[in-house]
Amino acid sequence: MLVMASLQLTPGVFALFYHYALGQFSKAKASYLSLFFILGAEIITTCLYLSIFYLTCIFFFDNLHPETTILFWAIAGILIALGIVSFFFYFRRGSGTKLFIPRKYAKALDLSAKSVKTRSDAFMLGALAGTCELIFTLPLYIVTCIEIMRMGSEGFASNFLTVLYILTPVIPLFFIRWKYQSGLNLADIQKSRTHDKVFTRFILAFSYILIAVLIICFRTIYQ
Amino acid sequence: MKDFDETEIIKDLKIDARAVGIPEGAAESFIERTMKDAKKSLKNRSVITEKDLSRVILKELKKYNADLAYVYENRDKII
Repeated sequence: MLVMASLQLTPGVFALFYHYALGQFSKAKASYLSLFFILGAEIITTCLYLSIFYLTCIFFFDNLHPETTILFWAIAGILIALGIVSFFFYFRRGSGTKLFIPRKYAKALDLSAKSVKTRSDAFMLGALAGTCELIFTLPLYIVTCIEIMRMGSEGFASNFLTVLYILTPVIPLFFIRWKYQSGLNLADIQKSRTHDKVFTRFILAFSYILIAVLIICFRTIYQ
Repeated sequence: MKDFDETEIIKDLKIDARAVGIPEGAAESFIERTMKDAKKSLKNRSVITEKDLSRVILKELKKYNADLAYVYENRDKII
């Protein structure tokens, strides 16, 4: 959840989108459109999560160990790789918070954020931003789905965790929205993002590697 | 090589200015002055790169509003 809340692509696109919306429409309309962006990001997170849960059920249910220990090693390896990648390459070198995505796509996202006019545009942009981060979220979805499946999908704890997991990625968006509504602007938000850049990198890398270590300890070595 | 599209730059600056909370009249006035000064300092050059143009506009914007200048400077560095 910490990783999901620390990822920067959707909040970055949202900050840009809200900025352009404030520049083109009234505050009320910008605020209204922002809800559809958040809804888009939330719906795509839910769809991706539930699809992966379903696929995990089909492929791995009742077959998790000992046959699939190799699966956990593979996931742990991917998470360690993501930890290293997120520390060194999640943010590009230089000032600002340029992210890992190719510059062409970053420009396209920027243009899309600028050209949002309707609720459906805002919704689609939110969904697109959520999808672009899939490379960093997919292994986490798989790990979470497996763990929740092992807890038993009927229990309160597993359902509560699922809801919490689905809601976590949009918390930073509500936070940015609140910042804009309380009078801050893109310059203030970007300054704080730049200030927290090193910390974000560290948290991402640490969390990925910690999850990998926990998987190695509890799902492979001690089984 | 492409032509320098002043109206596009002014349009973008106006959006940024409104978004950072600068009143429309004030924004229009200092964006106009910024563009005028930028053109003046680049008038002796036959070829201007985008970097040159951004640097000059940024230098002028810094005189009027720090937030707008910051947004302009970081416009490609947010995502």
